[in-house]
Amino acid sequence: MADGWCTDTGESVYRSRDAVKNLRIRVCIQRVTSTAALSQHLHQQVLSQQERGVIELDTFSSQTQAASSTDAEELVVGWQEKFFSQYEVDLYQTESNCQTPLERQYHTEIMAMERSKRRQNQRIFTCTDFDRFSKWEEQAQSLLIPAQSTPTFLAERMANVRHRRQERRPVESIVHKSRLITWEPSEEFIKNSHIINTPVQTMHIMGDLGPSGKLGLKENEYILCTIKADGNGVITIKPDFNNNRGAYRLETQGEKREVWRLYLESASSDIHADEKEREQRMYRDLYTRHKDYLNSLVGQDFEMVRIIILIQTHVSAQGYEYDNLYVHFFLDLPNNWSSVPFHCLSGVTQTCRTRSVGKEDVAFFSYPFSFETFFHKEDESDGSLPQWPVLYFKVLSLDFWQRYRTEGYGFLVIPSTPGYHRMTCCTWRPLQSGTVAELRRRLSRFGFRTQTTGSVTFTLNCIQHARAFIDASTLKKRRQTVLDQLGGHSQQGSVYNVLEAFQRAQKRMQERLPRDLINTSAQLNSESTA
Amino acid sequence: MAELHIIGQIIGATGFPQNSLFCKWGVHAGGAWRLLSGLKEGQTQVDMPQTGDMAYWSHPIDLHYTTKGLQGWPRLYLQVWHQDSFGRCQLYGYGYIHVPSSPGQHRLQCVTWRPLGSWQDQLAEMFVGGGPQLRSPDLIYSGADRYRLHTVGMGTVELELCVILRHFDRYGVES
Repeated sequence: MADGWCTDTGESVYRSRDAVKNLRIRVCIQRVTSTAALSQHLHQQVLSQQERGVIELDTFSSQTQAASSTDAEELVVGWQEKFFSQYEVDLYQTESNCQTPLERQYHTEIMAMERSKRRQNQRIFTCTDFDRFSKWEEQAQSLLIPAQSTPTFLAERMANVRHRRQERRPVESIVHKSRLITWEPSEEFIKNSHIINTPVQTMHIMGDLGPSGKLGLKENEYILCTIKADGNGVITIKPDFNNNRGAYRLETQGEKREVWRLYLESASSDIHADEKEREQRMYRDLYTRHKDYLNSLVGQDFEMVRIIILIQTHVSAQGYEYDNLYVHFFLDLPNNWSSVPFHCLSGVTQTCRTRSVGKEDVAFFSYPFSFETFFHKEDESDGSLPQWPVLYFKVLSLDFWQRYRTEGYGFLVIPSTPGYHRMTCCTWRPLQSGTVAELRRRLSRFGFRTQTTGSVTFTLNCIQHARAFIDASTLKKRRQTVLDQLGGHSQQGSVYNVLEAFQRAQKRMQERLPRDLINTSAQLNSESTA
Repeated sequence: MAELHIIGQIIGATGFPQNSLFCKWGVHAGGAWRLLSGLKEGQTQVDMPQTGDMAYWSHPIDLHYTTKGLQGWPRLYLQVWHQDSFGRCQLYGYGYIHVPSSPGQHRLQCVTWRPLGSWQDQLAEMFVGGGPQLRSPDLIYSGADRYRLHTVGMGTVELELCVILRHFDRYGVES
């Protein structure tokens, strides 16, 4: 006779964009007695047989209805809607029992209800956020069996904070610029700041499951459902709606252990179709307007030039013999490259004394150097790839007695791929053997043998900008890199020409060949594939 | 117009003689660039590491630029200062890096240098502190008059920057 119970009484979390005050829940409780079970079973049997048109229904339905008045109840509960239990009605009827303004308000409501003899609920009642019966608090805090006598320090603090947070308005997140640190925080400040807590509103739907006729005893009150909603639209319902999973099983404590069935159902009305449409249209308008505003801030122009820009920072030099180094460099542009007139393409860094980093003596320059060059592709028939600019530099040392010494020469080819590059270039200096030559080295710079000296590290950021890229994308062709664009034009052109010529030749050959030869070749092809 | 987002942090500094450091930073961009949102300069807190050599700031950088051209690509310049136990501040280095021009996440090291005075100044500096400073911070990120300076290399500042480019490909820029 047992129908399927739903044993999963875990809580479930819902998210809602609408206000939580539109939430409605239908609660049904029904006592499980032997007669009720039997009648229900028979009822089901009858229903199935009625479809075959055999037995009448009258006698059985009336029995079930008679039993249902005190042993079953159904109620639709809204968010924070207060329904009074028999116990509360008895308690608040006498005015002397009401101490707080809330209780006095309950008193007036109850008197009004009694006068109008309009009472919607008998057993099911609610405990809203504002009622805080201490019994429920204690029960809620003790999670163990046997119940812990004293809550932990943390539990105490959290309970305090939660209680206070609900009464306060949401804290504004403005930080005072002058008072960032509180040197002597008060106890309350510590409590509020150390424990993270989002304010949550709770509501309990409870049922008085005492025997019929003996309602109003506090021991018979059980929590049927707990609903928590926070300010962000997260609603937690424990236990969840049944959703055709079977009833929840409630068992009363006490002398007579009775079993009750609990059904929970969502009874909130859906949003109207036209309201939903209006809301969506409003959101869409808002977003498009914001997007237009941002677009207007950004603007539409961009310089359309054929240009290649290079940005560079000259980072460090290491491994040199003498101290107080500086670097003198210049950029060499090959043919077809030009630069903005009067633009400086060379530079001298500051003189830097080295310091040891690890095993080496390093000098840090951090010298900014950026330039733009233009590439002109005048001669299309020239089949070679273009030469990229080269940066030539020399490292010198300047000592205390104002003598300049060349420490090394080096060069760096500007990379042809755009992006971030970090490159280390080794340098060399001319060498003359012999002590006299060594002495003379301090004065002259000529030599035919070289010696490797230290290295210089450069960091480069290369950007390439070409109108051809735009044209390619508008024509929906696959974009080529600058390298392909610039250097390969003539090469690619020649390859393409060859291919085209071959195709033309093939076509001509096919036209001139006699028909039968072509047919046999086609036959052969088909045979081979078959 | 194209947009550039710079999102990242100044992680910290290492390799300086003393490690109780703070950093004043700023971003300088050319005339074609316009800052839409974010702070383009700031100062970190003073960090005194108890263990290890690196001073950590974890200072956030969140900038949104829009541009009409490629000149004047933004650069980040830094001044690293040391605060001692008496509360005196001493310059420990100037440094600068260009904001990377390729999109993605970059871990960058910005090396720093400090100007030196004459040997008498250096001797006094050893006892009393202080030392020459740049008259105007523009020299950190421009190279024009650098050759007149005599400097010494100092430590390294580590940064992590994520660069997002938008609409650059529409104008034919490849990076």
